[in-house]
Amino acid sequence: MTTALASLAVAQDRQGGPSPLALKAGAGIVLFALWEITVRALAPEYVARPSGIAKVFFSVLTDAGFLEVAAATLRAVVQGLAISVVAGTAVGLMMGRVSVVEHGLRYYVNSLFATPMVAILPLVTLWFGYSADTRLAVVVFASFFSLAINAADGARSVPPEFLEVARSFRARPLSTIFDVLLPSSLPYLLAGLRLAAGRALVGAVVAEFFVSIPGLGYYILYNSRAFKHNEAFVAVIVLVAAGVGFEASIKWLMRRYMPWSRRG
Amino acid sequence: MPRRNWILYATMFASLALGAAAWELAGHLTSDAFWAPLSTTLKSLGEVVHNGVLLRQAASSFELYLTGLALAVVVGAPFGVLLARITWLRVALEDYIMMLYATPMVALIPFILSMMGFGFAPKVLVVFLFAVFPVLYNTVEGARSVRPELIEVAHSFRSGEWALWRDVMIPYTLPFAMTGIRQAIARGLVGMVAAEFFLSPSGLGQMIMMGSQNFDTASMLAAILIMVLLGVGLMDIGLYLEKRFAAWRGYNP
Repeated sequence: MTTALASLAVAQDRQGGPSPLALKAGAGIVLFALWEITVRALAPEYVARPSGIAKVFFSVLTDAGFLEVAAATLRAVVQGLAISVVAGTAVGLMMGRVSVVEHGLRYYVNSLFATPMVAILPLVTLWFGYSADTRLAVVVFASFFSLAINAADGARSVPPEFLEVARSFRARPLSTIFDVLLPSSLPYLLAGLRLAAGRALVGAVVAEFFVSIPGLGYYILYNSRAFKHNEAFVAVIVLVAAGVGFEASIKWLMRRYMPWSRRG
Repeated sequence: MPRRNWILYATMFASLALGAAAWELAGHLTSDAFWAPLSTTLKSLGEVVHNGVLLRQAASSFELYLTGLALAVVVGAPFGVLLARITWLRVALEDYIMMLYATPMVALIPFILSMMGFGFAPKVLVVFLFAVFPVLYNTVEGARSVRPELIEVAHSFRSGEWALWRDVMIPYTLPFAMTGIRQAIARGLVGMVAAEFFLSPSGLGQMIMMGSQNFDTASMLAAILIMVLLGVGLMDIGLYLEKRFAAWRGYNP
């Protein structure tokens, strides 16, 4: 890693001008300084600014109450994603391979995928009440359809030769699914999972706004109402870190174990 | 082959009819607070169409949506192309743009509410924030695909700055910007509903909210149905735009 960065820096130096790392760090300093100065000059005292966030950052992160709400949100996201991965993959693979299923479900899956998930919040709240179940349901709704659509694309893209070979060796249907269909559409599934994870995070946050259950979203809402913007912003940073971290790990998985796939 | 097509159409029609029947039946089998039959929903839809409420609320929503989206495109795309031309600026900023692209913008709504209050401007800001980063992020991705050889060739032929933009930078980045605009169209819609829910209630979002607050499930479902149709229509427009310019995509290793 360091050697790669060093060689990159050397390559830049040969062209003249500063190294990319210095540029990025410089840009970061400029952006944070701009934020700090603008807020100090124009905005009221309570508005979040880098120095204020830095001051409360560690005390919020080590606060037991904060860790609890962060865990609640992330747990709901992971649970919802797990449900969606299993159900979405099953539905998607069927849609990709069985044309009756495809034509029966296509309209429903595509239009619910296009539906802004915020719009169904009141309906889901009617069904599940002001409870954590509503959040889980919204997370599942937010993530299910992108997984199903990508699984269907993946199942459709399986080379017919693979299936022919499986058939000539009289593979049982289950092993055709688990040994041919699933591995072959894995890159699509992971691409769907990347999309779904971002949507799931948004779903969890809006659900918490709407039904006021403990979680990162509600923490942000509560603290910004109490004019504690710096504290609230720490929760935003945790959300971003979760999103970026998840995205980066899927990208890494794809590059490490599926170098043949160009999707990603 | 025609026989096969006929079967497919029949399946599609059957699935839509089955869905409608299930909707109707679910409404009769469960309590009114859970689900309303399709017939009642359509009746309530007819009512809001007839008394002009739908038109008024949809116009208000569209005003918000289109203002935010237009601002996002007008700011995001030119800035993205600018980053395509000025390499050092792109290298400096692209990681931050990626980070903002990955940020769930809904999380910023409470801040906007407590700083800017109610009114039109904060809602436009929400739609803008939802929509601008997909445009910017994808345009910058496109910027990275502009091969330096092309710029070198253009320079060797003594191309002026304007000709370089017209013939190299813009055609190369436009297909990527279109992918961004497609994503922005979808995300902006989420932003619109979120703004109408969590800032001051207005437009189609307010119709959904009112239905749920009055336990008028039929009118809530009618408003959600419109939202679904709107989402599908806008997604199709986005896909069309993206496909229309996809052919311009250069070789992208």
